[in-house]
Formats: sequence, C-alpha cells, structure tokens
Amino acid sequence: MSGVLVVIEQRDGAIGRISWEAVAAGKFLGTKIGVDVGAAVIGAATESAAAQLSAKALAKVVRIEHALLAQYTSDGYSLALEQFIAQDKPEYVIFPHTYQVRDFVPALATRFGEMLISDVIAIADGPVFARQLLQGRLQGSYRHTGTGPCLVSVQAGAFRADALEAGSAQVSRFTPALDAAQIRTRPEPPFRGSEQTIDLGSAQLIVSVGRGIKDAENLPLVQELAKALGAELAASRPICDNGWLPMERQVGSSGQTVSPRLYLAVGISGAIQHLVGMKGAQCIAAINKDPDAPIFEVADYGIVGDLFEVVPALTEAVKAAKG
Amino acid sequence: MKIIVAIKQVPERDAQVRIDPVGKWIEELDVQFALNESDAYALEEALQLKEKHGGEVIVISAGPERAGQVIREALAKGADRGIHIEADDLGSRDALGVARLLAAAIQPENPDLVLAGLQSEDLGLGQTGVILAELLGFPHSSLILHVDVTAKGLKVKRELEEGWFQSIELPLPAVLAIQSGGNKLRYATLMGIKRAKTKEVRRASAGELGADASPVVILEGISLPQKQRSTQILPGSPKEASAALVEKLRFEARVL
Amino acid sequence: MLLPHATLAEPQHFSLAEKLIFLALIVASIAAFWRRFGAVLDKILKSKKDPGFRLFPIGRRVWDFFREVMCQARVIRQRPLPGLAHAFVFWAFCAFALVTLNHCATGFGGAFLDPAGLFGRFYSWLAAAFALACAIGIFGLFVRRFLVRPRWLGEDLSWESGLIALLIFVLMVTYLAAFFVTDTAPAARVLWWIHSLTLLAFLPVIPHTKHLHLVLSPFTIFLSRGGFSAIPSLAGDEDFGLVAGKDLTQIVSLQTYSCVECGRCSEHCPATNTGKLLNPKEIVLGLRGYLNEFGPASEESLIGKYVAQEAVFQCTTCGSCEFQCPVGIEHVPILVGLRRGAVNTGAWDDDHGGKLFLALERGSNALGLGAAERDKFIQRQELPIFDGSQEYCLWLGCMGGYDPQGREIIADFARVMSYLGTSFGVLRKEKCTGDPVRRLGNDLVFQQLAESNLETLQQNKVKKIVSICPHCVRTIQTDWKEFGTPPEIEHHSEFLARHLDKLGVSPVPRLEPGKEKIVYHDPCYLGRYRNIYDEPRRVAALAGDLVEAPRHRERSFCCGAGGGLAFLGEEKGERVSHARAAELAATGATTVAAACPFCNTMFRDALAATGDGAPQLLDIAQIAARGLPRGQPVKMNESL
Repeated sequence: MSGVLVVIEQRDGAIGRISWEAVAAGKFLGTKIGVDVGAAVIGAATESAAAQLSAKALAKVVRIEHALLAQYTSDGYSLALEQFIAQDKPEYVIFPHTYQVRDFVPALATRFGEMLISDVIAIADGPVFARQLLQGRLQGSYRHTGTGPCLVSVQAGAFRADALEAGSAQVSRFTPALDAAQIRTRPEPPFRGSEQTIDLGSAQLIVSVGRGIKDAENLPLVQELAKALGAELAASRPICDNGWLPMERQVGSSGQTVSPRLYLAVGISGAIQHLVGMKGAQCIAAINKDPDAPIFEVADYGIVGDLFEVVPALTEAVKAAKG
Repeated sequence: MKIIVAIKQVPERDAQVRIDPVGKWIEELDVQFALNESDAYALEEALQLKEKHGGEVIVISAGPERAGQVIREALAKGADRGIHIEADDLGSRDALGVARLLAAAIQPENPDLVLAGLQSEDLGLGQTGVILAELLGFPHSSLILHVDVTAKGLKVKRELEEGWFQSIELPLPAVLAIQSGGNKLRYATLMGIKRAKTKEVRRASAGELGADASPVVILEGISLPQKQRSTQILPGSPKEASAALVEKLRFEARVL
Repeated sequence: MLLPHATLAEPQHFSLAEKLIFLALIVASIAAFWRRFGAVLDKILKSKKDPGFRLFPIGRRVWDFFREVMCQARVIRQRPLPGLAHAFVFWAFCAFALVTLNHCATGFGGAFLDPAGLFGRFYSWLAAAFALACAIGIFGLFVRRFLVRPRWLGEDLSWESGLIALLIFVLMVTYLAAFFVTDTAPAARVLWWIHSLTLLAFLPVIPHTKHLHLVLSPFTIFLSRGGFSAIPSLAGDEDFGLVAGKDLTQIVSLQTYSCVECGRCSEHCPATNTGKLLNPKEIVLGLRGYLNEFGPASEESLIGKYVAQEAVFQCTTCGSCEFQCPVGIEHVPILVGLRRGAVNTGAWDDDHGGKLFLALERGSNALGLGAAERDKFIQRQELPIFDGSQEYCLWLGCMGGYDPQGREIIADFARVMSYLGTSFGVLRKEKCTGDPVRRLGNDLVFQQLAESNLETLQQNKVKKIVSICPHCVRTIQTDWKEFGTPPEIEHHSEFLARHLDKLGVSPVPRLEPGKEKIVYHDPCYLGRYRNIYDEPRRVAALAGDLVEAPRHRERSFCCGAGGGLAFLGEEKGERVSHARAAELAATGATTVAAACPFCNTMFRDALAATGDGAPQLLDIAQIAARGLPRGQPVKMNESL
C-alpha cells in the first residue's frame, strides 16, 4: 500500500477550482511523505478531464469509466472507487470536500472499515490533519490509525491550486464491474431554484445595501457589484420602506433571516433589527464611512470609506479575480 | 411508516469554550448543551411525514446522561418514544464507532426510514447518516431539503452547490441526511412537555450493543485557531482595500 | 306660573282589578327579566372556578367598589362630561331604590314612606334632585350618542340605547311631574301608572341589552382579580390558558357579560387606532357570543368563529383598554390567556413567533444573538462584573446587552452610576427575562427563563437590581413571582430621580438653556404598569423645558413594541410607532425623551420618517449623562 491518490470531480469535462486544490493538497502530502501522487476521475466520459490532469506533474492519471457512471449516484461511485482502491491500494486518498464527496465517501470508507477525515484545512507532519471544530471556534488535529487506506477531503480554499507544476502524466483506464441493479437511487437532472422568486434564505452570497446609498438612483452601483459576485441583492429596512427595492429583499427582524457564506453590507450602519437577520452569515464584510458603525463590530472584514468610491473599485477587483 | 431519527446533543452555539487540561476536548462543565441544528430539522421532517402518512417516530441518541435532555425535547415536540444509548466514552470513538452503536440499536427496530442531521455543530464530520446507511445496508441520500412519499418509496429534493437542486428517487427502507432550513421548525409547547412525561425512553448501554470501539481515526488534540474572529479593517486606497478584501474572501475566509 | 307642591302626589285606593293587573304585570316583568338573566347567571356560575381566587383581603375589594362603583371615579376621570352625566344617572338609580319600592308598595296600599312626613318629604325631595340631574344627564347622553356620535361608539346607532334613555327619561319625568299634581287628581293616577309601566318595561330590557352591566358590573368590580394586567398562574397539568369554553373562568365570564360597549377600550387601543383587526371590545363581545352559542363547558376552540387569532396576536399589552374600562374588565389577562391557549398547545403558527421561541428555547436572548456578543460589549465597555460586594446588579437585558442603541443607554447610565459613586456590577450570564414569551403566551419557555435567571441571581447573591428596561422590571418583579422570590428591582428613572440633587448641580446640566424643548414619552410598562410618571420627567427636565404630547401619562399611546410584537415582524397597515412618533414630533420638541429601550428602538426609524428636523431621541440616562463633567472619563472599575 503506497502512494497518494487524488479523486477529482468533473462536470461535463470541466474541473472545478476545489478539485485542483485537492490535487495541490495531494501533491503537498506526497512531497511531505515522499511518495508518488496520482489522480483519478470518475464518469462515463472522462477523456477531457483526464487530459487536463495529465498536463500536471502527476505520477499517473486514471480514468474510472463506465456507462453507469454517467450520472452521479452514491452506489455507483462507491462501488467503482471501492474496486479501484482495492486494486490500486493507495495509502492516502484525497478528495475535494464537495457535496458529492460528502454524499458517498463516508459510505466508501465504511466499506474499508475506515472513516473519512473530512473538511481538512491543513496537513502537518505526521501526517496530522487539521480541521475546524465547533464551527471554527477550535481546531482539531486528526491522525489516521486504521490499517486500510486513509481517506481525506479538503476544504475549498485551503490549498492553493495556482502553483501546480506542469508535467505529462500517463493516462490509464479502469473499468469497474457494475450492474444497474446495484444502483438503488434514481437521480433526476439538476435544476435551478426559480429565478423569479427571490429566495434570500438559501442564497450563498448576498450584497446588502443600506441608507448609505442615499438615493434609488445610486442602486445600480451595488447591483453591478452583486452581479460581478453572482450574489443576491438585499437591503435594510429603510431602503424597502422607501420602495427602492421590493419588501422581499429586506433583511432583518421584520424581513428575511439569511445565512449565506458571505454577507457584504454596503452603507449599512447595523441597527439591531438588521443584525438579527444576518448574524448567521459565515463571513461578514462591511463597507461604511463611519468607523464607529455597529456593523463593524460583527464584521470579519471592513473597509472604512465612501461607498461611492469603494464599491466600483471592489466590483473591478472581483471581476479581475474571477478572470 | 416507522421513522427513526438520530439526534445529537452538542454544546450551545454561542458557548464560550475552554480547552480541558488534557487538551483533547473542551471543559464541558462551562457549557450548556442543546439539540444539534440539522438534527432538529431531521426531527421536524420526521414529524411532518408522520402527520401526513401516519406511523411512528422514534428518536435515538448516543451520549452521557445529559443527552437524555434532547430526547425528552424531541418527545415533547411529538416523537413517540426514545432510545438512549448511554455512553460516556464517545470521545474515544470515531464517527464509524458511534455509527456502529446507532446501527446496532436501530437494526432490531426494522425502520422504514432513518433520518439524521447532515452535520453536527461540534465535530462537524458530517458522516453519521451516510455511514449508518452503509452499515444498515440501506440506500441513502444526503443534503435533503424535502421528502415526498411515493408509491415506490421516496422522492427527495437534494441540495447541490451554487443554487442547484436535484430530485432523487429511492426505495425504502432508506437513510436520509437532512440539511438545515428545509422546513419550519416547530417550537416546544407546554402541552407537549406534559404529554412527553408518559412516553417511553429505552436505555441501552454501549456494552450491550456490542459494537467495536477501536478507532481508525483519532483526535490527537485541540487548539485555538491562530486567528480569533475579530474585525480586520483593510487599509489603503479604495482600490488597495478592495483588492485586499477579495484576496481575504478567497483565501482566508474561503467564501468566494 | 306652575309651581311644584311641597309633597309628592301618590294616588290612593287602588281597586282590586288594578291591584291584580299590577301584580300580573310585575310577575310578567320579573319573569321576562329572569328568563334571560337566569340564563346568563347560569353560564357564569357553570364556568370553571377561578383557581387561586381569594375573597380576602377584602379591604381592597371594598375600596375598589367604593371608588369605582359608588363614586364612579374612573367613569368620571377618564371622560369627565359624559362620565358625570352617567354618574348622575347611577346616583339617581341608587336614590330611587327606596322610591321604587315604595312606589310598588303603594299599588297594593302598603306605602311606607309618608310624603308628608319628615323623612318622606326629605327623601322625596332628595330623589327629585337626583331625578332632575338624571333627566338632564340622560338627555345629554342621548344627544351625544345620537347627534354628536363619537367614533368609538361604533358606526351603527344603538336603538337599544335610545329606548333605554327614553325609559329612564320617562321614569324621571313622571316622578317629577307628581310634584305638580295632588293625590286625588286623576293625573296622579295616570302618572303613577305610566311610571309603573315604564318601570316594568325597563326591568326585562336590562338583561337583554348591554344594560346588564347595571346588575353585573358592581360584582365584576368587587370580584376583579386585582393587580393591573395580572396574568394568573396556570393550575394543574391540563391548564394551558384559554383554549376552549371550558377554560373560561367565572370571573372571565362575568366580565364578558358586564361589557357595556362604551368603546373606551377601543378608543385608546394602539391596534384599533392604526387599522388593525384587533378591537378589545370585540374580543370581549366575541367571548360573550361564544358563551351564548357554545356555553362554558364547550370543547370548541375559543379562537375561531367569534375571536380571530390574528387580532389576539396584535395586542401590544399596553393595557390602555384595561386601564380605561369602567366596568372592571381585565382585557390583558384575557388576551394573554387566549395567546397562551394557542401557543401552549402549538396551535399558533407564525414564522417570526416560532423563531423567537426557538431562539429562547436554546439561547439566552430574544434577538437570537450569541452570548459572546454580550461578553464582548461588557469587556469593551469595561463594565464591572457583579461579585456580591456591589450594591446594585445592573441588569442589561437583551436590548442593553445586544442592541447598539440599548448599549449606549447602558454605557451612559453606568457612567452616571460611577459618577455618583454607586457600586454596581453586571452578571456574567444573564438570560432574557422572558417578557416577550410571557406576553405571547409561551409558558414553557417563560418558566425556563425565569427559573434559570432566579438561580443565577441567587448564586450571585444579588439583593438589588436596577434596569433600563421597564419590561425587564415588570417581568422580574411581578411575573417571576410564580417561580420564586426575585430580588428588589427598580427602573433607572427611579434611581436617577432619587439622585437628582447630585446630578442637577453638576456643571452644564443644560446644553442650551431655554432652547431645548423636551417631550417625554411614557412607556406603558413604566406608566400604567408601574405608576411611574414624575420621576422620568424630572430627569428629562434636567436638559430643557418639558412639553407634553396630547396623550400622556395614564393615557399615553404605545410605541408598538410591547407584548412581544417587537419580534413579530412588520405590522399590517399604519405602524403604531409612526403614529406615536408623529404625535411626539408635532409637539415641536427638539428632543424626545424615552425611558424604555424598546420605545427607543421603535422610534428611531419612526422619528426619522417624520421628515427633516425630526427631534433627536435620547433615553433619560443619556440626558442625565450629558450633564456630567466632560474631559475626564469616569473609569468604571475605579468606582469600586
């Protein structure tokens, strides 16, 4: 049993950033313990993803391919990967911590009598895997003591994908033995939440605007930022009271309660009625010209300045980062 | 339909925590405990299914004496009976070990459906439901926001990333890991608490269940994160501050 | 000129036929009266006994009866002119008790008052004086109801009221007219018969109309639970509040049948006044309708056909209805009782309400914020921690601990206390007092919070508490008593007023003497609930000249936040806070002084919406702190 295997996620041949970060994590671990690092991609058509992987400095790239893997199912993916791991015998298997991985890898691990060390944010000597506890208030160090493969998933953004070296890896194929009867769940094609209805409650990114915007005419400034971020637009009560934005966009005690990954408060001073509606956000950033505004007390990041200067600059910075 | 809901008692969200002298867990005496949030949604889903289709809702929780509190809370909200796996050594078991305890207690009940919260607020491993499915030999799906009962089994709404969803059909018996926010939680009532007094809570010890306790992953130690949550004011011109903010959001907060 | 005789004319010698007819009419009249009244009485008596009802100490009851019934104090004080008119009608009725008995006895030849005798002559003239006042009074009331028509009497004209007024008027006039005829004149006999027939017609009208209050309200007032807005304890394992007819107690039933539909409760209700569904009068009449249809033992839900759930949850518990009610109806316990029935059984389903309950089931504050936020504030503000050595425990409350505005009030009040050299500390852990859940009828969460807080206070050996929030004060002092003995508590206005001499002499008590006009808003829970009106005014007056809003003191108009409504999301229609803020701004004041952090938070947006030049909003603690010496910040820890 040796080597590190990174299992990446692809959709229609495209590899997401978090998968590249998982490759980076695998490379980091491989270098640390001095073993080869390979990558695997699962699906019914994996040629394009495999080609992208093979252009990196990897020991090998494996296409785990089968017609029954066209659509993700927990049963199909678990069975396929179980067979490959049993044959390949990697010491470590690294995954990106995606919704798909969360859905099947714990079952896969159980088949080996193992447990996934999930949502890892750092790898230290040992190797010891660091992950957050109590929603980030503490950090825990985990060590693998089992006899089978060690399965690890890494959090988005924990490793930098941009430093991956180029190379040319050998691509091989693995065809698992699958039978349609083994796949017990029947997934339907993904669909988007309705575009018409504003569902701030489930929005992941929110840009919210307050009194500081001064006039309805200035709203496009913030709308553009929201668009650049791919975020929903929300507002504090006075904005909706004035009819500048519909009431459904109001965040606060008399409006919606939201818990996005990012809540960007623009020109919002942070009255309690507003704070109670957005305190559940994972990360809060605020732009306000008053350094004493209560919003800065709850914010993780703040920019003190005139929103009419900061917002356009931020929109540019977001666009630049998204390339 | 016989539904079993696996629930967990976790430290209250805003509890100020201190690390215990051994450095392996928090000082529990300081802390108040509550029902894990996504487990509350799992319970709510179970109660709504029962209200629609009839049947029985059984809650199961592994933990020390104090965990009885969340079982009683669940009974007050409408669960029919409870199973308390009394174990003081959960800290030395990994997620697989705990799931084995639960599976051993669930198996003899022959449930139609097992629900678990997606993820605990303390350890956050997010695996118990899926491991349970594997141990019980049931199909599963996770990140579930909505459950419909169909002629063939279930049709569930699963959350995907970035605002996408998916419907999945699966036969019964099955295990579902429930995501927070799919339903509106009910509040506990005085009437519920009074009625709960007469409901049965069966106690089982880890020893009786005979599950393997040797861990495959161990938590070696805990520490405070290097950066405490506090506001970072980003200095510089609007352009500099903006660039810094985007960088922080991408690589420090990891939310973009 | 027609002059009255010295004595009242009384016809003599009734024939047997007359006597028999009179007797038959009396029997018929009493029977008609009893037919309805007996049924009402039956419903009241068959209602559930009031758990915990004690007749003693009876002194309070006698005093209330004397003041409210005999002296008509509330009737007159809250509406002087019609009140006085009503009082004369009432007093005339009292005076006529003897006259009427004698009048009937006369019909059977058994008159016991001799109109020519000393007492008889005195009494008939006394009654005549009342009769005159009554006739004028009832005429005035008739004019008011049918010509002036104040809006709180409702859209529809009450023909019942017209009939009653006419009957009373006829009674008085026929009595007075008897002074102008002689005993033997046929007119005397005619007057006697008209008077008798009117009387016998009047009797059955009483129980069939709102004039039932003539009979019931003296009992209602005498038997009232007492204590303003007193929420009764739940009794036993099957009491969840007012769920169905079987939960209506005898006192509640008595109150519903006593309602005289005067509309005073609606006139002052913040919900009714801003176009909400709730009208306290309709709640009481709804319960009466329920009792008439379903009876007191029914399992039928109270909320439904006669009482709308939406209305029940629009009450701010400001208590102006109960405060105004002249017949002793205790509206707030009824409304809270209906909420309890809906919440304790889980029947109430409301997004915001559910969120509030869930936040308080597991968390420490009504805002659902992390307790760590409170700790951060305490640390940043360097507030001393209570350790048993200080005189006061400063209770932060949810608003003081978490709300940016509330925190400013706490910071300023702490500065004032330090300046005065009063030792104080704050608790490390403090939970919501349970005020919003108490008023919304969630007894489970309320009990958990009260017990947990009482334990904390006991562990910390707290003897005296001071709080900036009238809701906290009320809940701790009164509502917690169900679960233990709370420490002594006072509102910061009481504390500040007591130390006014030391604050008043500090430099620059007024920023711009003579220029600042201050209007003080009476919070419901400080005024009506605690009877504190002057103390906060004296503190507010430190900084300028006081002016009064049209509705002030006992008749102050709610800000809209009470009764848990601050947490129930956007209200329908006009906002109570906006209505009140406009009224306060219209006084021309430069400053609105508040003494409650909930009022404060409600008025912040509402005052801004009154347009440019809106008055600034300050708590009285902030006003007191403005006068403290500047430049040398008072270190809180050093005061110890």
